Amino acid sequence: MPSPEGKRSLLLIRILSLLSFLLLWELASRWMDSPIILPSPEATLKETWMLLRTGGFYRSLGATLLRGVTGFLLSVGAGLSIGILSGKSNILREFFRPFLTSIQSTPVLAIILLALIWFPTETVPVFVAFLMGFPIITTNVTEGILSVDHRLLEMAKVFRIDRWRRALYVVLPSILPHLVGGASSALGLSWRVVVASEVLSQPLLGIGTGMQEAKLRLETARVFAWTLAALVLSYSTESIFRWVVHRLKRLA
Amino acid sequence: MMIELDEVRFEYGSVTVLDRFSARFPSMEVTALLGPSGCGKTTILNLIAGLLKPQEGTLRVDDKFPHEVRVGYIFQDVRLLPWLTVKRNLDLVLPRTIPAEERLKRIRSVLRMVGMEHALTLFPDQLSGGMYRRVGMARAYLFEPDLYLMDESFQGLDPPLKFQLLSVFQQLRSMSPKTTIFVTHDIEEALLVGDEIFLLSPMPARIVHSLRNPVPPNDRVPGNQDIAKIEGELFTLFRRNNIIYL
Repeated sequence: MPSPEGKRSLLLIRILSLLSFLLLWELASRWMDSPIILPSPEATLKETWMLLRTGGFYRSLGATLLRGVTGFLLSVGAGLSIGILSGKSNILREFFRPFLTSIQSTPVLAIILLALIWFPTETVPVFVAFLMGFPIITTNVTEGILSVDHRLLEMAKVFRIDRWRRALYVVLPSILPHLVGGASSALGLSWRVVVASEVLSQPLLGIGTGMQEAKLRLETARVFAWTLAALVLSYSTESIFRWVVHRLKRLA
Repeated sequence: MMIELDEVRFEYGSVTVLDRFSARFPSMEVTALLGPSGCGKTTILNLIAGLLKPQEGTLRVDDKFPHEVRVGYIFQDVRLLPWLTVKRNLDLVLPRTIPAEERLKRIRSVLRMVGMEHALTLFPDQLSGGMYRRVGMARAYLFEPDLYLMDESFQGLDPPLKFQLLSVFQQLRSMSPKTTIFVTHDIEEALLVGDEIFLLSPMPARIVHSLRNPVPPNDRVPGNQDIAKIEGELFTLFRRNNIIYL
């Protein structure tokens, strides 16, 4: 744990990094001298402020949030179930391995295009978020199950600790770090793929829809503003997720 | 509770650990299994605990199946759950049918017996080596077992701590005497604890010699002349059998 002085230094470095980035951006936009190619940070900020004042922005944000969270929760549910089964059985692990490897190796764009053929536009982002997140969680949970210390399981067996408490006190704490790691990666990925899916599937509301509409109207500053919204959404949900995990650990 | 192994065979892959191994562990006594490292002592304990099954031969604990017997296993590495406090580690071995208040009372009482009442809310990584092993003993006692299995329970401890723990064990056992099998590769430990001592050969283990400890339990203290004499005799016996005890 860094000292208060160390923390201040870290904060200072981060602020300097951000300011350098903004300076570079400003210089580049002046050099380009074309707000359609690269708007200035100031123009982007103004556009973001205007976007924040429209009611449609919040509805779009809500729609994207709902899709991302639904896809994420579905991937957690499926990943947890299949991960546990794969961790318990070599046969099932080998059975699922080709599916998981194939999904992880397939370009996201190919999955989005296929989903566009198979599903209604509203469902496409949810499906893609689910499909991209689920192999990550499954792989992590399987690793977690395989990493459970067999000596602790032997102890539980000898002392006749029932199946439920064995799962809760021996298995779960062992797989929790793997599950949290996998879920965190899946959550981060889900925002990227949900927005990409929205750009291509064009549901009625969504950050991706807003981005695509702004791009068609050559409102580059607005594209930047929507991107900023997606970044904030991703960062906030990640922080909330970490807070929930921290609280759960303390409760246990 | 009498334990009997008859012509037991057990292999790990292509390694034969036990081949037609037979032994009879007398009821209510402490039998020390003294043998070199890796000779199959822990395998014998794991078979009795029901963690392993004999591939050939029979294992009887009175007339019960191994899974019906309550075993207070004091593991070599103790095996406390690192994410639970001492209290919750101990609470896990008590049945839920006992009310929470009564469970806590029992936990406090057993911790007092092993001199660890202050450790109730500590986590395993906050315990010293000796404290950790005391909790392991307390857990086995709290489980109210039919028999105790002790796997190198004092290995790697400094002599003063080892003898302190030995006396804790003797105290617990005197409160509720049970058939006990104590595995060790330390001759002195075997003589300080065992009523009966079985000397094992290197793998595949077989009993090369058995000895009734002539020293009464209360006189079994470090430095006892008789114990030192038997220790010397046993050492000679090992050398004669070409057995290296490490």
